[in-house]
Amino acid sequence: MNRLKAIADGQDIESVVHDEVLSREPVLTIQDFSLYYGRKQALHHITMPIAKGLVTALVGPSGCGKSTLLRSVNRMNDLIDSVSIEGDMVLGKDSIFAPGVDVIQLRKRMGMVFQKPNPFPMSIFENVVYPLRIDGERNKSTLMQVCEQSLRGAALWDEVKDRLGESGLGLSGGQQQRLCIARAIASDPEVLLLDEPCSALDPIATSKIEDLIEKLKGDYSILIVTHNMQQASRISDHTAFMYLGRLVEMGPTSTIFTRPKLQETEDYITGRFG
Amino acid sequence: MSSSTRRQRSGNHLRAQGEPLIWLTGGMFAIACFMIIGLLGFVLYQGLATLWPRSYLLLGTLDGELVAGEYRERRSYVLSRQNLDDLLPKSREAAQSQLDNRSEVTSHQWYLRTGNFEVINRHFQFVPEISIASREPFHPPDIWLLERRQWGNLYGFPKKLSWELEQGETAIQAVRSAMIEAAKTNRLFERAKRELEQLDRRLSNARLRVREAELADGSDLQRLADDVLATAVNIPRVDDTLSAHLKPIIETASQKERKALEHLARETISVQSQQISINEELARLEQEMRSRSLVMQLPVLDFRGEVALSADSFGLSQTSCPEPLHTVLGLEGKADDYKMKVILISEGHFLVSLQQSNAIPVYAWVDIAASKNTAKIHALREHQVLLSDIVRLIEPNRLSWTGKLGVYGSRWWEFLFGEPREAGVEGGVFPAIWGTIVMTLIMSMVVMPFGVLAALYMREYAKGGWLLSTIRISINNLAGVPSIVYGVFGLSFFCYTIGGYIDGGPVKAGFTPWPETTWFSALALLAIIGLVAFTLSFLTGRSKPDGSIGRRLLSTGSGLLWLATLAGIVLLLAKTPMFDGFYQAQLPNPTFGKGCLLWAACTLALLTLPVVIVATEEALAAVPNSLREGSYACGAGKWQTIERIVLPYARPGIITGFILAMARGAGEVAPMMLVGAIPLTSDLPLDMEFPFLHGSRSFMHLGFQIYALGFQSQNSEAAKPMVFTATLLLLTIVTLLNLTAIWLRARLRKRFQSSQF
Repeated sequence: MNRLKAIADGQDIESVVHDEVLSREPVLTIQDFSLYYGRKQALHHITMPIAKGLVTALVGPSGCGKSTLLRSVNRMNDLIDSVSIEGDMVLGKDSIFAPGVDVIQLRKRMGMVFQKPNPFPMSIFENVVYPLRIDGERNKSTLMQVCEQSLRGAALWDEVKDRLGESGLGLSGGQQQRLCIARAIASDPEVLLLDEPCSALDPIATSKIEDLIEKLKGDYSILIVTHNMQQASRISDHTAFMYLGRLVEMGPTSTIFTRPKLQETEDYITGRFG
Repeated sequence: MSSSTRRQRSGNHLRAQGEPLIWLTGGMFAIACFMIIGLLGFVLYQGLATLWPRSYLLLGTLDGELVAGEYRERRSYVLSRQNLDDLLPKSREAAQSQLDNRSEVTSHQWYLRTGNFEVINRHFQFVPEISIASREPFHPPDIWLLERRQWGNLYGFPKKLSWELEQGETAIQAVRSAMIEAAKTNRLFERAKRELEQLDRRLSNARLRVREAELADGSDLQRLADDVLATAVNIPRVDDTLSAHLKPIIETASQKERKALEHLARETISVQSQQISINEELARLEQEMRSRSLVMQLPVLDFRGEVALSADSFGLSQTSCPEPLHTVLGLEGKADDYKMKVILISEGHFLVSLQQSNAIPVYAWVDIAASKNTAKIHALREHQVLLSDIVRLIEPNRLSWTGKLGVYGSRWWEFLFGEPREAGVEGGVFPAIWGTIVMTLIMSMVVMPFGVLAALYMREYAKGGWLLSTIRISINNLAGVPSIVYGVFGLSFFCYTIGGYIDGGPVKAGFTPWPETTWFSALALLAIIGLVAFTLSFLTGRSKPDGSIGRRLLSTGSGLLWLATLAGIVLLLAKTPMFDGFYQAQLPNPTFGKGCLLWAACTLALLTLPVVIVATEEALAAVPNSLREGSYACGAGKWQTIERIVLPYARPGIITGFILAMARGAGEVAPMMLVGAIPLTSDLPLDMEFPFLHGSRSFMHLGFQIYALGFQSQNSEAAKPMVFTATLLLLTIVTLLNLTAIWLRARLRKRFQSSQF
């Protein structure tokens, strides 16, 4: 527990990142990234690669900065006035935080799904093709094609194909969340960011979403924040354990959950603290 | 251990008990309900009852007077020694005996609407109950009520028509069918008068054109114009010879002036010839209107003489006319031809109807109370009424329930869709309804974009800070500023400054123009400032948003310079020596430089702006942030998010606020008094006449109508019923607007309800 105590005392620690993770080709690299809310530092020098085509899970106790890190990837934190950052992230070959980066273009390369399903107050069809609509796409057949593809991708097509014109708000919670996933993959993103996508759902809806993530793996690189250890162990390839704004250990999920290098990680995984 | 020792029970504490507080809060609630229901009920009752036809009654007083009127209500009042002097001797005696030794008692009086204003000089009368001698009021079945275009209602018995009755036709049938003809004639007459007005307008437009030419060239055309007119008078028709006639006179003038002068000549000639024919038509119509009239007998007594008729010889059972009565009334034919009906009004006072075969009966008043053997004979005052003056003829005492309903409906119809009569005291309020509607619509068109865009900026774009908070608080406070303040502001800013500027340029608006050299140098300076501002903002747009001091200076600087440019443009407009108004020729008569529809709408827009801004801001704040984030995460820009997600979601709230603003605007009176509402006009703000919407016209307004009728008219008491009806109408309109808001909100909200969250 020394490291965790050191973190709590505000000392810097060395993150442990397994070689298996480092050897994979990354789609996104986080480089010595720190984030401040006003004066308060929320993320401390985080460095980690997100592997291409795999599912990377961010775990850790509440307030450890998982969501903040996730939201930094597509610069959602820009919307908060007091936020300032140090360090950088690289998507493909492009810097995310370099001055002059077009945030809107950047966001178009990622998809994001939030804790609570947030379908727009419009029809199911319009919900899915929203990213195309804002790009000015008007061709009906293109839109229809993308809509079907995305809904099939989100395993929702069979349930809603007969009522695409109805409001997206009329769906059940799980369906709404899958609709949001369909919306997120409609623009064929390089990275899919999932911020605790199942926390507001019942077990059946959760298992459907998990199946879906399993299915999307390979086609998309997925970064998922989760509170649920079982979920992380079930669906992710890599797992990163964070604590109080610092990355503690990151490695292949199987290793992290069975024989992590650090005692602290094992304690957290096995539920001895946190 | 018992619970009472463990914990101090506070059972005897008042606040711990529910009951008394239920009574307290419930009582307050009941009082609030009572006030609301009381107000609504009062307005509803008074407003709805006004137009209901009432019965007409005749009464005799102790002093032998005849009192007549439409019964309205019985009011209590305090009878005291002081007001005994107002009574006639016998009534005073009666009052004294009622008073006994007390200094005052509560008594009752009857409130009667008398009509017949031009004869008796009042619209209503209070009759103290103690002075009434009749046991029961008499409701004469033959009484007619004529609602007229002028002078209000007239009550009386018909006496004579100016034309012959057809076989088997009753007087009322004859008058009613003749009224239809008369109404047609009246319409033609009104139309001819309007045409005449239009001709006048053409002539004054032609004169305006000459004046404009004069102003443009700075020459004096007065003498030339007089000469042209003198020539034009002698030319009967517009033809080719006109130019030849005019040529020698207008040779010296410029091209533009010649055109204007020729136009004036042409218009004068054509208007002249049309005026003659229209005047002939008017004379003919007036002749026709005068030809059909009827003579009424009003319940006003005209003393004719004393005759020998004793109480013993004259009675209710009498059916033939006594000779003396016949003589003193000066009736035609022989006394025996008349059938007599005698009605006892009060002790010793009779109303007598004398009918010769099937002719219309003649009424008289016989007073045998004064002495034993003689009777005082009064005839009823005769009064002539032109048929074209009558709007509605009813027999109030003969109406059945359905008949009353019919009259009631027809009066409401006239009230809602008719023109005012009698300075607004009678007739309709259509111009006021129309004025209110048009003004409110224009107001909403002005306020909507301003309010919504301002709120969007404040909620979606502006970064929070003390400045924004101050502005927000100020806007909220603006909603509480007394509306008369807006009226004063509107009058001085919109009417006098902007309106004056439009009319007659900077001088009329109270600015001193700069000399041309100064003005042009200022223009050059402004152009430079504008260019710099543009360059700076261009640079700001290109630079990186890195929050550095240099960039902040750049953006602040460009913002300030834009503000300076805007101020400069306003200043230059105010000081220009080159503009002297669009309506210079009309001066000193103001066109826009006075209260009018446009400025009233602008003033109200200003007044309702806080309501719209606050409502819109609240609606925007209610849009869940998760939706905005979802949109941004899809790669949408700020405006795309606002346009596609935020505004549709906030629409119900915005529309609700907007309708509430309309309701507030429609009911606002105080500023209207200053910026354009007038009590009476026949010109509508929106009509079929080019250019259809007349922004520079004054207009009638329902709220103002209530004030003007109730407190500013010649005869407020007479106008009171109309005040209640107008109030009811205004309340109805405002309620309808509010209901629409609620309905719309409920309907739109349904669309955004999620099944789960």
